[in-house]
Amino acid sequence: MRPAARRGRRRARTSSPPLSATQIRWLGALLVCAQLPQAPHLPLWVAAFGLLLVGLRLALLRRDRARPDAPPARIPSWTLVLFAIAAALAVRASYGYLLGRDPSVAFLYILVGIKFLETRTVRDGSLLVALASFLLVTPFFTSQSPLSALAVLPALLVLGATLDVLARPPGHASERRPPQALARAGALVLQGIPIAALLFVLFPRIGAPLWGVPGETGAQTGLSDTMAPGTISELSLSDAVAFRVDFDAPPPPPVQRYWRGPVLSRFDGQAWSLMPRPGTGNLTPWSAGGVSYEVTLEPHGKPWLFALDLPASLPRPAGDDAPASADAGFAFLARDQQLIARTPVTQVIRYAQRSMLRDAYPQADAEEAREYLRLPLRGNPRTTEFARELRARHAGDRELVGAILAWFRAEAFVYTLTPPLLDRDPVDAFLFDTRRGFCEHYASAFVVMMRAAGIPARVVTGYQGGEVNPRGGYLIVRQSDAHAWAEVIVDGAWQRVDPTGAVAPSRIEIGLSQAVAAGEPVPLFARLDAGWIKNVQLAFDALNHEWRRNVVGFNRDRQRELWRDLSIDRYAGWQIAALAGALALAWAGVTLALAGFAQARRERAQALWGEACLRLERAGLPRMPHEGPIAYAARASRRWPQFAIAFSAIAESYAALHYGPPPARPGEHEALVATLARAVDVLPGAAQLRATAA
Amino acid sequence: MTAAASHAPLAGAWSRARQRFFRHAPGDDQSVVLRHSRIYILPSRRGWTMIATIVVMLLTSLNYGLSLGFAVTFALTGLVAAALLHAFRNLAGIEIRPLAASETFAGGRVAFTLSASGGERMREAIEVRAADAAPFVADIPVGAPVTFRLERDAPMRGRLALGRVTLSSTQPTGLWRAWSYVHFPLSGIVYPQPEPGAPPLPRGLHGHDISAPGQGEESDFSGLRDYQSGDPPQRVAWKAVARGAGWYTKEFDGAGGGGPLPLEWAALPRGLDVETRLSRLTAWVLAAEHAARPFALRIPGATLPVGQDRDHRRTALTMLALFSPERAP
Repeated sequence: MRPAARRGRRRARTSSPPLSATQIRWLGALLVCAQLPQAPHLPLWVAAFGLLLVGLRLALLRRDRARPDAPPARIPSWTLVLFAIAAALAVRASYGYLLGRDPSVAFLYILVGIKFLETRTVRDGSLLVALASFLLVTPFFTSQSPLSALAVLPALLVLGATLDVLARPPGHASERRPPQALARAGALVLQGIPIAALLFVLFPRIGAPLWGVPGETGAQTGLSDTMAPGTISELSLSDAVAFRVDFDAPPPPPVQRYWRGPVLSRFDGQAWSLMPRPGTGNLTPWSAGGVSYEVTLEPHGKPWLFALDLPASLPRPAGDDAPASADAGFAFLARDQQLIARTPVTQVIRYAQRSMLRDAYPQADAEEAREYLRLPLRGNPRTTEFARELRARHAGDRELVGAILAWFRAEAFVYTLTPPLLDRDPVDAFLFDTRRGFCEHYASAFVVMMRAAGIPARVVTGYQGGEVNPRGGYLIVRQSDAHAWAEVIVDGAWQRVDPTGAVAPSRIEIGLSQAVAAGEPVPLFARLDAGWIKNVQLAFDALNHEWRRNVVGFNRDRQRELWRDLSIDRYAGWQIAALAGALALAWAGVTLALAGFAQARRERAQALWGEACLRLERAGLPRMPHEGPIAYAARASRRWPQFAIAFSAIAESYAALHYGPPPARPGEHEALVATLARAVDVLPGAAQLRATAA
Repeated sequence: MTAAASHAPLAGAWSRARQRFFRHAPGDDQSVVLRHSRIYILPSRRGWTMIATIVVMLLTSLNYGLSLGFAVTFALTGLVAAALLHAFRNLAGIEIRPLAASETFAGGRVAFTLSASGGERMREAIEVRAADAAPFVADIPVGAPVTFRLERDAPMRGRLALGRVTLSSTQPTGLWRAWSYVHFPLSGIVYPQPEPGAPPLPRGLHGHDISAPGQGEESDFSGLRDYQSGDPPQRVAWKAVARGAGWYTKEFDGAGGGGPLPLEWAALPRGLDVETRLSRLTAWVLAAEHAARPFALRIPGATLPVGQDRDHRRTALTMLALFSPERAP
């Protein structure tokens, strides 16, 4: 590199003043505060490495201070570039790709540490503050719990304090002590809260992402579009919340709580999958006895919405009154009575829903039935043969269904979360060899038997049951409530049949933990007997539910609901802008007033002195333009000797206030103002002064 | 109505607006209290960085539908907005008044002093800046005015106006720069530069010839008189002052303290240009003062009778400083 260019660049870099040790320590504190909330969501090595880099810089600083005469520790910039490249490669190796949301966050997390290592000037400091600010948003990619929100607060406070510390001019004697800086930052944050709330409520939200689909939903748990043996039992090991439901009336009994999800119609001998073209179905007519409720659905990255069997309305975004028409709404009803959103559910959504609690609905057309009879040509021969045998014995479809359920009940089937692995002809192996299975085994085997016997049938997945939280009265449906059942066409109508209920009735009536044997790996919160832990957890969940509904779930629909309550036309942007502007102005006025901005009036000492001078002037002794306070007081004392003490007190305290050195002790200034005020108070009015002089 | 006449009110409004917003003319009086109408605020460099960051945070929150992302973004926005109010509050209500302007010779620096008082609030890191003067940064403590001293280079004789003064501050967070213009009619006098190597003083009225100023002073000491304000410092009897005996001025007889000197423009050699003449006369005024000799000064359009003290000297130098070349014959 040519030396001239190099010098030029160095000069440009150093034109910003260098950071003091205190400022560097504040920046370090800010970075740690910004990194910590993100750390739990990162691979361990990333979390540790980022923090380590910040620690390294602070340790170097400490070393420099211990040896003030040694040259300051410097890490050459080119090594840091190499460092950054190495970090990028390592992140790529860890995630498998680099250009995506999560690896980018991990890289940024490390990058702030690297940048901090070479941060020397105030300008570098500003950049770091900006990067740290962005880090405050990233933890919410993975978790928007109240705890995550709390974890960000310290960083916000330290950010304000760091800005304040950075703003002190270089070489300024008074660097702030940490409590002082934090207190000032706290005041700024508090004063900013009205603006934050205003923007939070009024800033227009959008319904769809700006760029691409935020595809990386990560390892979100939930029902998938296929079901192989083991899919649902694996899901049942998670006590993550799938959705929460507020009912308008008391929740229906557990036996009726079938939350309909993906309907699986295709079978390849091993796994069940969705029908490719779902078509459009007819809603069950709404009538007395139906239930209406509101679902707060956690994001699961798939388009399905959940409703109690059978949906009697399309889901309406909470707060939207207009009944959604078939094409306009954000979701539609498929021919198999499944509710499907037009975009995948990647954020918490709330929707109002109505259902009729029925277990059968009329078949749409006879053609459709043939689809539900298909079986692979080969495979599961024993099941097929057994089904045909039963068919021969039972003429009516209903009798056949009843016979199979009775057979499940009679034989030694075991309901378990840990069934043995089945590889070839899994239905045969399950029905005639192992006889240990979870709901997906029973539903799958039942549907295969039905189809083999010539009765159209399919698998319905979803959730069954759920737990009513006594605090708040809403229903919590967890992943551990995931379930699979069957639907068959009997007498021209789709009829729900749950073979699991035949084997383990308590699964349907009470819940998972009652249905499986003791010692099975049921998740903690799916147990009913966990005592006080359970109580604490329910209380926490109630809080979380409110949080989900009102804070995290504050989306475009909630916002429109609010605007409607405020009688604002949802499309009148100017009304909202005007409202926001007026409120912001009000905020500025109130904040300035509360911050002691009654400053338009003159300084008190000036006002008191002016008052005293005015009185003397009216009494016939105006102050000469060249006359200082002491000389004026002396002249006044000669005219009115009886008030000499007051005159000299006024003049001396005013002179000390106005011309004296800055107050050395706190309170000195106030004491002088008080003296001045008392002395002015003692001084008689102009009329009396005139009278006494004469 | 002519086009010019119809434009006049518009131009007037334009210049009034310019004055209102930029204070080009020295329209401020004895003291100015900074109020909202005078205070401007824009983001600083760091402020722009922060605003850009907030926009990125906002877009991220929008795209990923992060309600808490919005919450943090807006909390930060609130902090920035509150910082704006504090930046305003740090400047609002400051009373600034012009105190004095110094004199100097061309090539020197004129020092302007202003005082600023912050009233009942501590004002942090107020920067005062005027034209080419080095900026002055100070806190203004509660109830105690701070005197700011701004020095401007004075390359040419004449009046040097302080010009527009900018008070600014980026406190408390460095995100906003609040500033305010005040423009006082405060100006310092810049005397002509004394001619280096100027010829000796001309003959006095009594026919003396001054060979070199200051020569033979000690030998011709004639006595002490009471000190009068304006006596040149080199004539003060410092030994007496040091003893505590009071203030006296030494008086001299003979060649050093000759009769009154006539310093005349007309007596200078022909062919000298205006500035050289002024420089030479300036050098002579200084030499006469140094030699403690009374002098008279006559330049085209102005005459100063004989005199000898500090005010006399100042009047003479001011005459020379403000001499307008159009009056030169």
